[in-house]
Amino acid sequence: MNPLQELLRRVPALLMARRNLSRNRIRSGLAILGIIIGVLAIASLGMFGTTLRTGADQQLGDIGNEISISPNLQEGVEELTDRDVDEIRRAVSDGAVVPIRSDAVLVSRGDQQTVTTIYGMENPGAIYEASDGRVPDRLRQGALVGSGTAELLDIEPGNTIAVDGRTYRVSAVLAEQQGISLVNPNSAVVLPMEDVNGTGYSQVVVSAESGQAANESAVAIREELNEREERVTVFELQSITAGIDQFFGILNTFLIGIGSISLVVAGVSILNVMLMSTIERRQEIGVLRAVGVQRGDIIRMILAEAGLLGTAGGIVGALFALGAGVALNSFVLNDPMATFQPINFFYVALAVGFGIATSILSGLYPAWKAANERPVEALRK
Amino acid sequence: MSHIIELQNVWKRYDTGGEVVEALRDVDFHADPGEFVSVMGPSGSGKSTMLNVLGLLDTPTEGTVFLDDRDVTDLSDRQMTARRKEFIGFIFQSFHLIPTLSALENVEVPTLFGDDPAARDRATTLLERVGLGNRLDHRPDQLSGGQKQRVAIARALINEPRILLADEPTGNLDQETGRSVLDLFDEIRREDDVAIVAVTHDPQLSDYTDRTVELVDGRIQ
Repeated sequence: MNPLQELLRRVPALLMARRNLSRNRIRSGLAILGIIIGVLAIASLGMFGTTLRTGADQQLGDIGNEISISPNLQEGVEELTDRDVDEIRRAVSDGAVVPIRSDAVLVSRGDQQTVTTIYGMENPGAIYEASDGRVPDRLRQGALVGSGTAELLDIEPGNTIAVDGRTYRVSAVLAEQQGISLVNPNSAVVLPMEDVNGTGYSQVVVSAESGQAANESAVAIREELNEREERVTVFELQSITAGIDQFFGILNTFLIGIGSISLVVAGVSILNVMLMSTIERRQEIGVLRAVGVQRGDIIRMILAEAGLLGTAGGIVGALFALGAGVALNSFVLNDPMATFQPINFFYVALAVGFGIATSILSGLYPAWKAANERPVEALRK
Repeated sequence: MSHIIELQNVWKRYDTGGEVVEALRDVDFHADPGEFVSVMGPSGSGKSTMLNVLGLLDTPTEGTVFLDDRDVTDLSDRQMTARRKEFIGFIFQSFHLIPTLSALENVEVPTLFGDDPAARDRATTLLERVGLGNRLDHRPDQLSGGQKQRVAIARALINEPRILLADEPTGNLDQETGRSVLDLFDEIRREDDVAIVAVTHDPQLSDYTDRTVELVDGRIQ
């Protein structure tokens, strides 16, 4: 005896339910189809929301994890000093502090030249990655070139460029920064700090591990530096990204709500199917009652039928939904594997659970009705 | 008392929209173990109602029902269902087998919802006894009328009842097949000491029964 037969023998309600469903395959199939569509709608709309959010997150990048501190020009503070940077370092418990000195100068390679922004940084590795070459942890010599400037002047790592009359060897071309960035390097050149004119800093970027850490740092920096006067302005995008996240949360709930409507419709169709089939089987149910089957067992049997419809529809719907998710993500994000993340499995499980629950709920009334019919009435010819 | 089932002063009234129909009027009836009783009468005489009351499928308006010397008139649905399972086997004119189940599974139906691991062996033995040992896995639509009624009889016997209640057991069978079913009844009541009460129009039943009760307009004549 195989395990399925063993299970069916142990749970007679399931055995009877399965046989009853196989009696009218087209009708059972259509009821299952309704559940499949409902589960597919909920799960795939949920995953669609995830895809939207992932796409938006890619556009925003790590911006939520970064804050920028600038001198408060309105209070007459022209630039940040070493003392300010030390205070910022003390205030930030977790994250890299990158002071930046900036200027605009002439950059040339061979006979091509352009005016670009230059940034002086000690540790650009904390906020930038190279697309070609290597970004050193400590920048002591050489230049890092933003992708836009590199393209304009046809620069590769190893080339030599002239910046404001001095020559530098290019260590790396920086990866293009997509979307919004606090200090956009695309059309800039990054040099060692002491090679940029000036003594103070035009801004300080803090790159934290998470949006929450960034927010805590921002609060600490405001307390530390703006205690007596409004010396600095602290700019953080975390509140904006949090708002965007919240929006996508609402959007997702809305989408799933729309999907649920189709599942409710499927539930009504199961109610109809179960009601028809219990009315057709009146006499049989009467016989079962006559030979000593209790009301509760009749209810269990009919709920098992509804539950089987829901389970079958749920499983098939979940498979279709994952397929739809893979198609959507490979089309929108170019990354089919983005489907297989925990939140999407949550949506699929939610949809399947909702599908099974809807089916069983829809079976309640037919089950109650069948179990409460008097066997005498049911057996009357 | 040695009666396995007994009706005392049983009345059954139906209220059909203002008009009260008396289906049973002061019926006294009993059957003993091993006894074969037929209930005859024209249609509408209350035979089916009497069988339903005997089978604990219906409750009398007045009077008392004793099963195995215990008053079972006012039991709950749950208790009645349990008593039916323990004491009573039903046989119907149109067999009422479940079309999706095999012969063997149909015989097992009364035991399905309950822990009864020996049921399959008993069902097999019963089907062999009624001459269907080679039809265990056939569906009802693959069986003849007489074979279906034999499956139904095996189903009625699966819980080793003390009473068999049969509603026109030969009504859908030709005379020869009906006779073989009645032979089987005769064997069962002798070997198993089961009381058989059959409601019928079929005169050939009287060749087999110990006594015949005549019911006219709800009264025993």
